[in-house]
This record gives sequence, C-alpha cells and structure tokens, in this order.
Amino acid sequence: YRMLKLTLQLNPNSTSVPPGGDLLHVRAVGDNDTLHFLWCSQGAPTLLIVHTNTSNSLVQVNWTQFLSRNVSGGLSVEPQSSIQYSIAVVFSRLLEYDDANDTAMPDSDFFPPYELQNLNWNRLELFDAKARLCGETPEFGNGSLCLTLSVFDSDGRAESWPRLLHSANSSQLEVWLHGIMPRSANSRFLLEMQAVGGDFPLSRVDVRQFIDDEFTPSIFKVSQWVSPVKGGSDVSGYVQWKPVAYRQSNPALEDATPCRYSDPQTQDGNATAASSALIQAFFSQPNITGLNVSFGLAGEPFYNSTRFLSWTMLVGVGAPPVDTFSPIVLAIMAVGLGTPMILLLVGGALVCLHKRRHGSPATYQPIN
Amino acid sequence: MADFVERQNLLEDDESSPAERRSASGDDRPMSAICDPSRLPHRAVVLVFMCFLGFGSYFCYDNPAALQTQVIQDLNLNTAKFMQLYAWYSWPNVVLCFFGGFLLDRVFGIRLGTIIFSLFVCVGQVIFAAGAWYDLFWLMELGRFVFGIGGESLAVAQNTYAVNWFKGKELNLVFGLQLSMARLGSTVNMNIMGWVYNKVAVVVGSPGPTTLGASLMIAAVTCLFSLVCALVLGFLDKRAERILHKEEGKTGEVIKLTDVKDFPLTLWLVFIICVGYYVAIFPFIGLGQVFFIEKFNFSPAEARAVNSIVYIISAPASPVLGFVVDKTGRNVVWVMMAVVATLAAHMMLAFTFWNPWIAMSLLGVSYSLLACALWPMVAFMVPEHQLGTAYGFMQSIQNLGLALIAMAAGAILDSRGYLVLEVFFCACICSQYFYLSFLLVF
Repeated sequence: YRMLKLTLQLNPNSTSVPPGGDLLHVRAVGDNDTLHFLWCSQGAPTLLIVHTNTSNSLVQVNWTQFLSRNVSGGLSVEPQSSIQYSIAVVFSRLLEYDDANDTAMPDSDFFPPYELQNLNWNRLELFDAKARLCGETPEFGNGSLCLTLSVFDSDGRAESWPRLLHSANSSQLEVWLHGIMPRSANSRFLLEMQAVGGDFPLSRVDVRQFIDDEFTPSIFKVSQWVSPVKGGSDVSGYVQWKPVAYRQSNPALEDATPCRYSDPQTQDGNATAASSALIQAFFSQPNITGLNVSFGLAGEPFYNSTRFLSWTMLVGVGAPPVDTFSPIVLAIMAVGLGTPMILLLVGGALVCLHKRRHGSPATYQPIN
Repeated sequence: MADFVERQNLLEDDESSPAERRSASGDDRPMSAICDPSRLPHRAVVLVFMCFLGFGSYFCYDNPAALQTQVIQDLNLNTAKFMQLYAWYSWPNVVLCFFGGFLLDRVFGIRLGTIIFSLFVCVGQVIFAAGAWYDLFWLMELGRFVFGIGGESLAVAQNTYAVNWFKGKELNLVFGLQLSMARLGSTVNMNIMGWVYNKVAVVVGSPGPTTLGASLMIAAVTCLFSLVCALVLGFLDKRAERILHKEEGKTGEVIKLTDVKDFPLTLWLVFIICVGYYVAIFPFIGLGQVFFIEKFNFSPAEARAVNSIVYIISAPASPVLGFVVDKTGRNVVWVMMAVVATLAAHMMLAFTFWNPWIAMSLLGVSYSLLACALWPMVAFMVPEHQLGTAYGFMQSIQNLGLALIAMAAGAILDSRGYLVLEVFFCACICSQYFYLSFLLVF
C-alpha cells in the first residue's frame, strides 16, 4: 500500500506573479522515490509528471528562461540522473463542428478551432490537492472551459462519475465546458490532446472490457493511451479514460454521453513546444503524439441542450490502474447467489429425506 | 401483462358433446358458410377479429420501451421516472384483475364490457400521447393508468369471447394464436416505433415532445382498430345469439374473495415462483436496450432487435412447448428446467461478453416453457370453481411484483449499474429453486 506525502507550491521561487499564467508544482514524496506534478497555464494547459528514484529530487525553475519561452532548460528536475520517466499532456485545441445531420461523425463542417493557448486563463484556484483552471474567450459568451487537476496521496476513487480508480502514481484531470455559446444549434465538440513522452511516445490506445459497471453505470470499457513497449511498466506512462462524458454537473444515468477517440498520430514537436511553456522549458527533443476525443453519438442531444459537458481522465506513470470488483459487489454476489444455493441444497436434502421416508419407487431390480 | 392469456389455456374444455353440435347447426335456414355462426368459415372470420381485439393494447403497452431513449431525452426523465410509466400500468391491475372478469360476468356482459374496456385502452393511449406532446409527465402517467384499466380486463374479455365461440371446438388453437398475436403486437411495436419516430421527426422538423406525442398518437391508431374489432365482435356475437338462440356467454370465473383463504400451500408456492420468475424477465427487457448498446456495442436498431427476440421466439415456441408439456406431463420438472435455463441466460449476460443473441434466445425458449408448464399447474391444485379466483389472484400479485420490482430495478441501475442489477435478477431466479424443491416434496 503506497502512501505519498504531498506538498503544493504555486509558482515556486518566483518573486512576483508571473504574467501569462501560473505554474503549480505538487511534490509527492514516497519512501524512496518522488513524483513531481507540474501544472501550467503558460500557453496551452499542460500537465507534466516526472518520476524520480530518490526522495530528495527537486524542481528548479529559471523564471527568466521559462517566461521567455524560446529555449529549453527553463525548468529542470535535479538530480537529472534520478529521472526515471516523464510524461506530459497538452490540451491543445477545442474543436467544434455543425452536426446538422445528427451523425456525430466529426469529418466536416468544422468551425475555426479554439486554440487553447490563446484563451484568457484565470489564476489557478487551489483547494486541498486540487487545482482548478478556467479559461475564457469572447467567443465563448459567458461560458468557460475549465480543467480540474486532482493529485492523490494514495489509491482510491473519486466521488462523482465516472469514478475512475486512481493510484498514488496518477493524477486526475476533469475537463468541462460550461455555458459556452455553441456556434450552431447542432454543435458537437472535440478535444485535441497531445501526449509528450520520453523515448517511447504514447502511440496506441488499448480498450479493456470489464463486466462490472457498478462505479460507472452502463459503461463496460476503459481506454488506455499507452506506449507500445510491453513489460517495462516502470518506465511507462499512460492516459486512461472511460468512454463517457456527462451533460450535467450532477449527472444521472441519462446524462451520460458516449465519447470516441481518433487514432494517435505523431505531431510536430516544435509546434507543441511553442504552444506550451512547460514543454518548451523541460523537454529538449519532445516525442509527441496527438489524438482527438469526440463527444456524443448520433441521436444524442447536442451540446446546446444543457450547455454542459464534462469528461474525466487519468494521467500517470507506471501501469494503468485495473478495475476490480468492489467488496460490496462481491458481498452482494455472495449473499445474492450464495443464499439461494444453500437453500437449494437444503431443498435437495428435503427431497431426499422425503423420498427416503416414503420409500423410493426406483429400487433396483435384478436384470434377469 | 402479456401472460394472462396463457392461463386461459386451462379453462378450455375439450368435450364437445354431439348434442351441442346438433343444436348449434340445428337451424336449417340456408346460409353461406361464411355467414353461418355454426360453421367453421364464420368462426375463422370471428377469430381474426378476436385476435386483433388485443393487438392495440399489446402494441401500445410496450411503446415506452421501444422509444426508451427518445422518451428519456425528449422529456428529460431519469430511468427511475421512466419506469414509472410501467408502474402506472401495473399498479391499478394489482387490484383490477380481481374485478375485471367479475364486471364482465355480472354487470356489463361480455359485449358491452369488451367495448368499454377497448374505449379505456383508446382513451388511455390518447391521453398518454397528449401528455408527451405537451411535455406533461403527470398526464402521461394518467394516460398509462387509464390504459391499464382497460388493457388487462380487455384480455380477460378476449379470453371470454374465445371460450364462448370455440369451447369444445378449436379452443387450443385459438388461445395459441391469441398468445402469438400478443407477442406479435409487442414485436411489431419494438421494431417499428423507432422508425415511426424518425419519420415523424423529419416531418415535424426536430426530435422533441411534439415528435414523441405525434408518434404515440400514430400508435393509438392500433387501439382504434382494436375498438373497431370490439364493435364488430359485439355485432357478430349478438347476431350469433339471435340465430343460434344461445344465452350470452358466462366466463364461469366468478370472483369470490373468500376463496383465497382456502388455497393450498402449493398454490401459494406457484404464486411465488410465478412472481419471482416474471420480475426477472419483463423489467430486464424494459431496461435492456441501453445494456446491449453499451456493453455489446450494438446499434440502437440491433439492440431493439435482440431485446424483442424473447417475444419473437415465444410466439411460435409457446404452442409447440405447450404441446410437449401436455404429452409428457411432469410440469414441475419442466418448470425447473426453465428456471435453470433462465438463470444460465442471465449469468451469461451478467458475467460474459458472449453474443447476447445466445442468452436472449435461451431466455425466450425458457420463458415460453415456463409459461406453458407453470400456469396449468394451478388447475391441478384448486377445485374448478376456484380456478378464476386463483388465476385472478396470480395475475394480481404478478402485477404487484412487477410494479415493485420495476421501480427497484430502475433505482438499482441508476445507482449501481447493470452488473448489480443482473445479480439481483439472478438472485430472484435462484430462489425459485428452493420453492420448486418444496413443490417436488408436496
């Protein structure tokens, strides 16, 4: 059982509030390793996780370099040799298309995309081990796109759907579009993400099925964006999500809407580095893959119906968490199926006793 | 509902005394076969109307299930609220099953009673559709309530007609056909309503309460058609009575509440088995569509098809299996086999990703088998004059069980998902073994 000690620091070692966006550093210290979570709104929102094999590793920021956003090295983790693995996720664009024929196939009628690096990002709001970041643009009307980062000190599961299982080595990101003015009545949205890996880029999405949907009713799958290298779970990272988004902030089952992903494709590292200060500062030669997640299915209500959409994913290092049956379900199964089985045995015994007492007609007869 | 038809299989009486036949055809006025109430061709005509008498109510009963996603989306409901549409049908019939037959026998008479109940069905469906049209959920619930008052009693009337016209003749066949007709109504509904909705959506312009209301209004045409059948049947029955000088038929099912206390223990066990089994079938079918879409990647159309396979199979299988059970006897063993098969089907759905066509087909066969084998058992357990009370009571507590479990199932699904729901259904079915083993003892 893994327990980490979390410390949060906003804009570490900065003498003033940096213009253009905040940098949050969460240091999660274990017995003999450290995870550094870096969450930055300087440009496109970016989450960077660095795993080191010592409990004394530190993050150092050269703010002048970091804010100049043109050279690598503005942010580093020391000692460099302790770095086991690093993974970053950049939320690059929000795409919107007019689904006039209600096919939910995002292949044409796109509106000009929202480049998330150009949004006006508010200051990070911190509460406990969570950080909320909201961005606006005049085209949104009164709406906003928000991201909430949650970092965990141990294994567990969030309170609200989709109730993803997380480990201490993962962080959860919830993305929500709240009150955004759609540019057509039949608008649907896509979110474009880029994953920045070390030597092994995340180039594949696996879908795993599980029969138990108790935590996310009616959802039986989990998608994992991973690197194709097998066996090396220590040196890998992942992005994991369930293919469901919700159309209400307090969702019931009917507010669930399926989501789909496009195949990961290699992206231009320089363009991504230019869009995100954190990528520029930490990686010298980023290996980048990108994919889109599209929300909604043919026949499902459009964004305009509730003007709310929320989707949740995990980013972590190591192997992705694997769902198991909860003790409650195991207990229900044991009682629900076990009791009748016992009753069945008792019933069978009753039949036998009855037969014995009243004599069975099926006595054996000699053949001849 | 759907299953009170089977019970009437038992009330059939195959003796046809030669004397009765003579008197039926005793009138020697020349009349073409198609018009002569004592001849087969005329009865065939009557049979057609008789079968379509119940078509409207069977068709419209499952309208909400066929349009589940549309109803929920257009009216902003949650699953538990959606299931209330079925509860509002079932609840009144917890009591009304007692009295429907009684009113037919003692107050209205079969002809007027049938017309009145058909009217209830029609009006109920129209109220239901109007409720959807104006986005008034309470009005929809009211509609289902009124529809329910008519629906179940109409089935009793349908059976009474069948006994009147076919007793001692082709009654077996008639009940088989009526059962198939009931399944047909459900199946046609399941497969056509989504299409109707889409077509209406094109005409109206967009999906929404108006589209839903209009689709349900179109469905109400089947009820109107059934009402016409009721009127024609009333006319033909009156005419036959005049020509054959027979008295207006009595069901013989006189409901006496005091009969209940004399029921033997085994009958109560049959009641429990009946409820425990049926609640694991119908509420699941009501909630199944989303399950097939999400777990097995079915398209909405495929999901509807696999959902209705239970009905499709039971239409031809019920008469065949009924014949087999009749020939072999040993009803308890057949019921046990049906229960085991149903459990296997539910377990497949819950714990595997196997193609649900397998599980649902198995469910269809086992359901038909249980329907054939369980309902006749009552006939061996109570004297003839209590049969009506017994069947009425069985029907009533089945409705009670369905109403309660439908609500529970919606709530379980909303909070705990399909796996827990399936485990719950498995538990319901499992416990049937226990009661069955008691039945074997006594």
